Amino acid sequence: MTQETRPSVLKAVNLGVTYGQSEAVAQLDFDIKRGEFVAILGPSGCGKSSMLNVISGLRAPSKGRVLVEDEELFTAQSKPPRLGYVFQSHRLLPWRTVRQNLEIALAASQVPRGTWEARIDEILSILHISQFKDAWPMRLSGGQRQRVSIARALLIDPSYILMDEPLSTLDEVTARSLRQELTGICQRTNATVVFVTHSIREAVYLADRILILTKGPARIFEDYKVPLERPRDYDDARIAEVEADIIRRVQAPWGLAMREESSVA
Amino acid sequence: MPDLPLSNPIGFVRKRDWIAVVPARVLSGAIALISILLIWHIMSIAFRPWVPTIDATLMAMGRALQNHSFWDDFFLTLGRVLASFAAASIVGAVLGLIIGLNEKAEAFFQPLLALALAVPDPVYIIFSILAVGTGEMAGFLALTIAVAPFVTNIVRSNVHARDKSLDEMAQIYHLPRSVRLRSVLIPQLMPALLTAMRFSFALSWKLVVVVEAIGQPDGIGASIFNSFRLLRMREVAAVAIIFIIAMQLLERGVLGRVEKKLLRWRD
Ligand SMILES: Nc1ncnc2c1ncn2[C@@H]1O[C@H](COP(=O)(O)OP(=O)(O)OP(=O)(O)O)[C@@H](O)[C@H]1O
Ligand SMILES: [Mg+2]
Repeated sequence: MTQETRPSVLKAVNLGVTYGQSEAVAQLDFDIKRGEFVAILGPSGCGKSSMLNVISGLRAPSKGRVLVEDEELFTAQSKPPRLGYVFQSHRLLPWRTVRQNLEIALAASQVPRGTWEARIDEILSILHISQFKDAWPMRLSGGQRQRVSIARALLIDPSYILMDEPLSTLDEVTARSLRQELTGICQRTNATVVFVTHSIREAVYLADRILILTKGPARIFEDYKVPLERPRDYDDARIAEVEADIIRRVQAPWGLAMREESSVA
Repeated sequence: MPDLPLSNPIGFVRKRDWIAVVPARVLSGAIALISILLIWHIMSIAFRPWVPTIDATLMAMGRALQNHSFWDDFFLTLGRVLASFAAASIVGAVLGLIIGLNEKAEAFFQPLLALALAVPDPVYIIFSILAVGTGEMAGFLALTIAVAPFVTNIVRSNVHARDKSLDEMAQIYHLPRSVRLRSVLIPQLMPALLTAMRFSFALSWKLVVVVEAIGQPDGIGASIFNSFRLLRMREVAAVAIIFIIAMQLLERGVLGRVEKKLLRWRD
């Protein structure tokens, strides 16, 4: 099946977000297909989290439309979409243990109760946090909490998953392992993922397609198809080449924000 | 300051070693108790016979503890305290939730709440007695009306200050309304709610005693007032002290334990 014939899961048409007078997202058009892994790259403050808040149904856009599985959001009859969202901050309930935090999301999903225990055990072990199953979130490190938040989003069989810089709080070794696991999970479950990141290499390694945004207020600067087959190797020279290519392209349009990052990269 | 033994800090600390054995809390408690007893002693000399002496009061306390009618009054008053405390906490918390979550309710109740908080407690007591007579109901009513607004106010402001990002999480994961209330909102309010309950408990028992003194034939407040009319100051002091200690034990023991259990998820 080629990409074009796959059903559309998430579609934005002429999408704009403003806060009072200030414009956060100028205009976005995209169409994300079932099973696609789409990374979002854009300079800090360009409106990526704002965009996720709209395509998750949390916040109505100030202009344009969002369609989830061809049903329009934010109309009187529209049903809220079933999605997993890894917020930029973890948003766990501190008075519930890790397991209880996962169960509260499962209880509101359509996942049969009989399978919860096994699912929870599996996802926690994939994310290397099995030993914290009964811990209070306050006793976990930032990266451990973020992984619980990832587990919550993956557990509930969502139509699509939004992730807002989910690996940015992790050390590089753990992040590598999770990137690899994430690729595996997404391929096995054919998940549709929108993944915001500041790491261009991470985007190239994970994504089928990268939506490169402009400086804020965001527009689509380029809809970039990653020209690499799977499986990929994070240290592959071709990934570094694609990364360098993207950096070259965005250098001018991103302005100052980019010069800082390119010196690190 | 050449005389300070800075050159020999270890020797300096040595002398104070025995203090380290006693926990700081116990130590400061003991100092407070000794100071109170000292002031009491001085006052009992200065204001004789209006301030009873310590030993006379202790003896009166011993007599009261062995006296059936004291315990009758005690449990009667305790029942009144618990009833009005429970009513005020429940009414206040529910009202606070409603006002905090609903703008229309807030617009309606906010001026009333401001007024309720401004009215001095004796006014409630007098009006309740005027409205329903000096029966059991008057005290209960006055107390509930006097204490509930404090709880309402604390709950309301904490509902406003809640973490909205958790509401968004609840929305994304389709948590049902009941779960949002029970597992997302109320646990957030719990620390404030417990503070409000401590406060309302303290207010309740103090007001119950006043109400009993003004309008009831029985209970600790009435018994204190009767002793006062007969100028038996040691009985006044003895009964008051026993009751205060009992209420403190209840507050710290029961409410403190509940607090520990409910807030165990915190650091
Ligand atoms: N609730 C809000 N009210 C007003 N302005 C906001 C609000 N949230 C975000 N903004 C503004 O909108 C713009 C985009 O913010 P957003 O959080 O979407 O950026 P971002 O791309 O996610 O940035 P980062 O990469 O740093 O997370 C910023 O200029 C920010 O100041
Ligand atoms: Mg962001």
